[in-house]
Amino acid sequence: MSDEPALMSLVAVAKAIAGKKFSSREVTQSCLDRIAQWQPRVNAFMAIEADAALAAADAADAALAKGELSGPLHGVPLAHKDMYYDAGKVVTCGSKIRRDFVATTTSTALQRLKDAGTVRLGSLQMVEFAYGPTGHNPHYGAVRNPWNVDHITGGSSSGSGSAVAARLTFAALGSDTGGSIRMPAHFCGVTGFKTTVGLISRAGAMPLSQSLDTVGPLAQSVEDCALLVGLMAGADPEDPTTSMLPVPNYMAATTGSLKGLKIGVPTTFYVDDLDSEVARVLDETIATLRGEGAEIVKVDLPDQRQLTAACQIVLATEAAAFHKRWMIERPQDYGAQVLMRLQNGLAIPAVTYLEAMRWRGPALAAYLAAVEGTDAVIAPVAPMPAVTIAESDVGNSLDAEAVIQRITKFTRPINYLGLPSLSIPTGFTKSGLPVGMQLIGRAFDEAGLVRIGAAFQRATDYHQRVPKLA
Amino acid sequence: MTRPDAKQVKAMTDVAGVPQDSDVSARIANSIGPAFDGFAPVSGTLPMDLEPASFLLVQRAKVLK
Repeated sequence: MSDEPALMSLVAVAKAIAGKKFSSREVTQSCLDRIAQWQPRVNAFMAIEADAALAAADAADAALAKGELSGPLHGVPLAHKDMYYDAGKVVTCGSKIRRDFVATTTSTALQRLKDAGTVRLGSLQMVEFAYGPTGHNPHYGAVRNPWNVDHITGGSSSGSGSAVAARLTFAALGSDTGGSIRMPAHFCGVTGFKTTVGLISRAGAMPLSQSLDTVGPLAQSVEDCALLVGLMAGADPEDPTTSMLPVPNYMAATTGSLKGLKIGVPTTFYVDDLDSEVARVLDETIATLRGEGAEIVKVDLPDQRQLTAACQIVLATEAAAFHKRWMIERPQDYGAQVLMRLQNGLAIPAVTYLEAMRWRGPALAAYLAAVEGTDAVIAPVAPMPAVTIAESDVGNSLDAEAVIQRITKFTRPINYLGLPSLSIPTGFTKSGLPVGMQLIGRAFDEAGLVRIGAAFQRATDYHQRVPKLA
Repeated sequence: MTRPDAKQVKAMTDVAGVPQDSDVSARIANSIGPAFDGFAPVSGTLPMDLEPASFLLVQRAKVLK
């Protein structure tokens, strides 16, 4: 066991607190100590609530001393993307417009984690209104990658990726509408779980696109993510789009082997135009999966460019509708790039939007037919490792959308199909930047992805590596 | 389906109630154009008896079985 509690995994620290190896105060103080060291370098936190966190930790310790264990995360300090409403707390959504917005309700996902016993450390930075893939934020500053602070974290869950990578929090909620969990996981070298649309309630989470938004965690390991998804998943009267299906025991899937499983490798699109180091890591990942007993098969997928286009049409239209009032009343209070992207949605005819929504069923059916017989598909999260903050600071320039499209090329099709996708750390570049891969599964088969991801992490240590403070 | 040009975009933003000037309209046309191009093979080909809710039927079919 590490003598620095903040370096432990979520599952390990929860056991350590419940078993009284560490108090919640000791664990919380360890996180706060690291936050004090790292925050000036990475700008991952929106708000740090040290006194309140320590008071909550003391309360958790007092309860435990009386034999009261509130849940499987009793006394574990966490921080989340600043778009999950927490009654009485300011929730900025990374924006100037909501700089002083105080939530009057608590999001279902957050409440379920609170019910499991978590302690609030504060809130995490994010891209303005979760609408951007790089991690830039004109109002609160760019979040920086702990592996190299000149590089992006990816977005929009930028603070979540950075804070988990630097071990400032054991896990963090993100959200994924076009890749916003998987890209920070890939660029920052942590595990991120974009869940099936409809698995976890979106009630009380800031909306961007009602058809594409998904809630999910970023954490050190697949096991950590499995625990969190299991706690948050399931029907919610406050979000009628949430599935009524029973929630499986995802933790039970963390011990399965890969023998007898088939993993598909796309023959096109996801393997085209890759940075050479991403291509190398993909090959190494496939070799590891094969070595662990999986059968690797090639899959010919339908044209993914059409899915990307359909995703952009749905996302742009729905985002513009959510923001129309502020686009009229407060356009000057948006950052240039987010306003630009919101304006794009004004130019999509209703018929085109509805065609994109109507095609979703047939497109998913065609994808599922193409991957029939496989347990998951493996693909890069992005064609490249983290680029620099300077070179991706494109604002609202003419080529901004092209830059965004290139970064999100491999994530958007999965959002359109509504499928689960688990991003796991799978290697590093020669210059020390992380590279992740996504395991794409069938709808509501998160357990299948957990089985594969956990087996990969038992065979490798990429998820356990920690960046050094320069 | 063809991508809208700047003039058409300007008209659409006017109708949407969030009017934009010519420069912004040109920029929007440039940004959103590739999405129209990418979706063109699908647009205008879908059968009438197809609702957006068909997505949920496909998504949950295997699980419910």
